[in-house]
Amino acid sequence: MTPLVVVLWLLNVTLDTVGQLSFKAAAGDPEAGDGMARWKYMLARPWIWVGVVSYVAEFLVWIAFLSLVDLSEGVLLGSINIVVVMIAGRILFRERLTPLRVTGILLVTAGVAIVGVAGGG
Amino acid sequence: MKHARFYAIGFTILVLFDTLVQLSFKYAGDHAFPPEANWAWIVRVFGHPWIYVAVIGYVGNFFTWMTLLKHAPIGPAFAVTHLEVVSVMLFSAWLFNEPLTWPRVLGATVIVAGIICLAFAETGAHPEHDAPTEAKGALGVAAGD
Repeated sequence: MTPLVVVLWLLNVTLDTVGQLSFKAAAGDPEAGDGMARWKYMLARPWIWVGVVSYVAEFLVWIAFLSLVDLSEGVLLGSINIVVVMIAGRILFRERLTPLRVTGILLVTAGVAIVGVAGGG
Repeated sequence: MKHARFYAIGFTILVLFDTLVQLSFKYAGDHAFPPEANWAWIVRVFGHPWIYVAVIGYVGNFFTWMTLLKHAPIGPAFAVTHLEVVSVMLFSAWLFNEPLTWPRVLGATVIVAGIICLAFAETGAHPEHDAPTEAKGALGVAAGD
């Protein structure tokens, strides 16, 4: 992997994490209410917009990333997003981290490492 | 039995949409090659039909996902949406002649094992309508995607 590929990969996981956590923050706000009022409430606050901007940027970064690596390698390396978002979610929203989750996180990370190192990382 | 068929068809459609989206992203990126941090590159990306196929696939993916989630438990749903790594690998080997190297096959196997663990961890861990943050990736990848 060239330095540019690594930068795009890191940028992708960062944007994905920021985007997903922002949407979670917007959707999980207990004061948002229901129906149309909920949407008005969410659109008037920054989190949903932070999420949208992150996703648009991620979309472009991901296309750039995929044009530099094999697609099969790209999607495997992209699996790290699951792990990072999960850990960030657990920290920020105090979601539980059970032994089974830790095992899953370690396995996905190990799989990504195998692909990344073999790819010349 | 009726539900089993509903899920089987629904999840198959979901994986196919996910796969189509990733293949389209790859085609779009290849057409716009080389990637540059400027407007010209963005114009090249949107100047080919593939990016629009990706968007259509993404919309289809979204509605399939929302329909399934109405009934399907979050754990298996989470797992299936990330199993596209396998289907994308197979299609990449076929369409782009990408080699199915041992590290890729081994890496994919370990990742899928991890996803299955996470799926079991999600099952029953969340009340309805309280999907975990990472339940659905942005671009149908791992999210990332």
